[in-house]
Amino acid sequence: MPESVPPGASPAEPGAPRRRAFLRGALGAGVTGAVAGVAAGYTYRATQPTPASEAALENSAAGLLAPVPFHGRHQAGILPQSQRRTVVIAFTATAGGRAELTELFRTITARARFLTAGGTPPPTGIGGPPSDSGVLGPTVVPDGLTVTVGVGSTLFDDRYGLAAQLPARLTPMRAFPDDDLDPAQCGGDLVIQLSAGNTDTVLHALRDIAKHTRGGMQALWRIDGFTSPARPAGTVPRNMLGFMDGISNPSTSDRAQLDSLVWIQPGTAGEPAWTAGGSYFVVRLIRMFVEFWDRVDITEQENMIGRRRTSGYPLDANSIYATPNFTQDPTGEVIPLNSHMRLANPRTPQTAASRILRRAYNYDRGIDSVGDLDIGLIFSCFQQDIKRQFEAVQTRLIGEPLVDYISPFGGGYFLALPGVADSSDFLGRALLA
Amino acid sequence: MGANVRRAALRACLAAALAATAGITAACSSGAAPADFVSVSNGGCGDSWHLAGPGWHTFQVHNAAAEGAEVDLVDPADGAVYAEVEALGPGTTSPMRLNVGSGSYAFRCLFEDSEPLTGPTALVGGHARGTPAILPVTSNDLLEPARQYHAWVAAGLNTLVSQTAAVAADVRVGNLAAAKAAWLTAHLTYERLGAAYDAFGDFDQKLDGRPDGLAGGVSSAQWTGFYRLEYDLWHGQDARRLTPVANALAADARGLLAAWPTTQINLLQIGLRTHEILENALEFQLTGHDDYGSGSTLATTGANIAGTRELLTVLHPLLISRYAGLPAVYSWLDRLQSLLSASKGPNGQWLAVSQLGPGTRQAIDAACGQALEELAPIAAITEPRTT
Repeated sequence: MPESVPPGASPAEPGAPRRRAFLRGALGAGVTGAVAGVAAGYTYRATQPTPASEAALENSAAGLLAPVPFHGRHQAGILPQSQRRTVVIAFTATAGGRAELTELFRTITARARFLTAGGTPPPTGIGGPPSDSGVLGPTVVPDGLTVTVGVGSTLFDDRYGLAAQLPARLTPMRAFPDDDLDPAQCGGDLVIQLSAGNTDTVLHALRDIAKHTRGGMQALWRIDGFTSPARPAGTVPRNMLGFMDGISNPSTSDRAQLDSLVWIQPGTAGEPAWTAGGSYFVVRLIRMFVEFWDRVDITEQENMIGRRRTSGYPLDANSIYATPNFTQDPTGEVIPLNSHMRLANPRTPQTAASRILRRAYNYDRGIDSVGDLDIGLIFSCFQQDIKRQFEAVQTRLIGEPLVDYISPFGGGYFLALPGVADSSDFLGRALLA
Repeated sequence: MGANVRRAALRACLAAALAATAGITAACSSGAAPADFVSVSNGGCGDSWHLAGPGWHTFQVHNAAAEGAEVDLVDPADGAVYAEVEALGPGTTSPMRLNVGSGSYAFRCLFEDSEPLTGPTALVGGHARGTPAILPVTSNDLLEPARQYHAWVAAGLNTLVSQTAAVAADVRVGNLAAAKAAWLTAHLTYERLGAAYDAFGDFDQKLDGRPDGLAGGVSSAQWTGFYRLEYDLWHGQDARRLTPVANALAADARGLLAAWPTTQINLLQIGLRTHEILENALEFQLTGHDDYGSGSTLATTGANIAGTRELLTVLHPLLISRYAGLPAVYSWLDRLQSLLSASKGPNGQWLAVSQLGPGTRQAIDAACGQALEELAPIAAITEPRTT
């Protein structure tokens, strides 16, 4: 099949009719959603995108994404597919003691509860400046906003008496041989990821949360990200190397799989009880040397990744979601043994437990000192055990050919807190109460 | 109020409700009744209005007069203001949103060159808590704080004159080590007077101007004052070159002192400055922007806190009954001050912000940010209002 033909356009492709039907469904749902203003809640990307998640992307441009329910056993921002816009910001806790730290988490929770549901901010009369920045107009729209809060290992030092509550698998982020970490862009006592359909929505949320927490935490590093539309429609969004990113992910509708890969289970050996329902959250800021990359032959690019750039197909298959058959290709004749896809997920029984839930965003922040573009990837992933999962994957990737074109420079290891059960609960209650 | 207008208001509310996304309470949904349309004119101030009951209301306040108006919703018993719409142009309509609780409500209209008009009172019974009303501060209320503040500045200017003279004397005899110490003392005295920036007029640019915006920047001959002298002192200029700069500083301080008795304090500025001084400290001192060599911006921030406290002292009688957040203002200023003091170097010397450990700097910045949030309402509360 010629590389220039988009997937789904070839009548010879077995999946084509289904794919076209799916696309029609997506557009239909988008229109309905816009008129009624009501979608059946946010939907999750499973291994394959669903019509409703495509509809969500359609609606996001108009700021019409429905609210994502805030309360639940897990934080609501972990399973949804990457949204159009995100900001990841790490903070140093400056709260003066345990009581103030608890108040900080209560405040973050209250703001997140309001911002994700939307509503009209209260007037202040002659008693002060307006309570809201007004960036979203007089009524705050939810726009699919999710607020994901994590804590870093440094929060468990001697400041707040939390040392005994340190999650068993939470450490400072380790440096891998191919990293070039800038300490100023690493770590943090807290991390907050805000994702929504539009930039104004995430920045509004960030300003709101910061305004209400100035004394309790101070920003340490921050990066903004975006998800591209799937091009062609119905495929998977691409990263700045031009390749579809995160095609192979655990299914977010398979509860058993999530319980074995993503969520910390009650009674896990060594884990303090409060961590149950949380998930280890790894953030890696990865510069991509795109000018260099763009000077590389397409065959070499595809061999480094292990997939076709145009279609996202594994080099040995004819559809995006096909499972590459590494056992049939033991010497790497078709998919090189050191390709990114093959090293990251060798698809063996032994490596199945190292799978991670990836949630990457692209970033773009200007130019570097030689005038090249400073763009790349905010790699993030969720898992039960950083060593067993992210670090195992990253260890397999040490020295992969791709490392010449990328440079991890920041990020951190965090524990995404368990969810907020209801209106009387707050983030971190089980840790702090 | 005509039926047409009423329908127009209702249409506007419906449009807003339709535009809003599901799951949101639209501004009009709880108070969309035409009764929330309030028309004011020189002849009447919301004469036909009534209140259906407690809860969120959005009044559409329409100015039917030919001149601009200010419309307040007040408690007629004491004039305390629940909500206000300022500068409502003739023929325009503006929303006024509040949570109505149990109590008395009346509209009060202020048209230029007219006595205030107060409309009929609506009573809401029961024990519902709504948006609290705040007693407006009048120009008259601000006269005594302004008088006290003027006198306090006058005393500070006397000190400034003698301290800048001491700097100039040290420079003239070539004792630059003493001049540096004297410079810091005098500069902190000036920075304590921060609230009076606008009142100082051109003297502020002469005494404490930055090179930003001057052609040539730090080499501009027009750059004078404390920062110019700091730059020269800490960049190895000799006494001969420094003398005219130090003499000019002392002369400008004397000029300001001489002009002060006839200088008026803008009443609006007193409240505004309660947060603006520290806004400037955050922008220019805690960032290190205004460090021209001495590394004393943390000391300057401390002086700015002292200036802020003086304003709070003179405003205290007005704030104590109007601002529930006042204790938090003081506690965050205290915390900021103690963090600054604790950030000094091993020999008790001030450090440049770039020399601070990251934790120390973040704690200071966080405390300053929180202090500013707590201070911000004071400007709105103490804005002089006509009653």
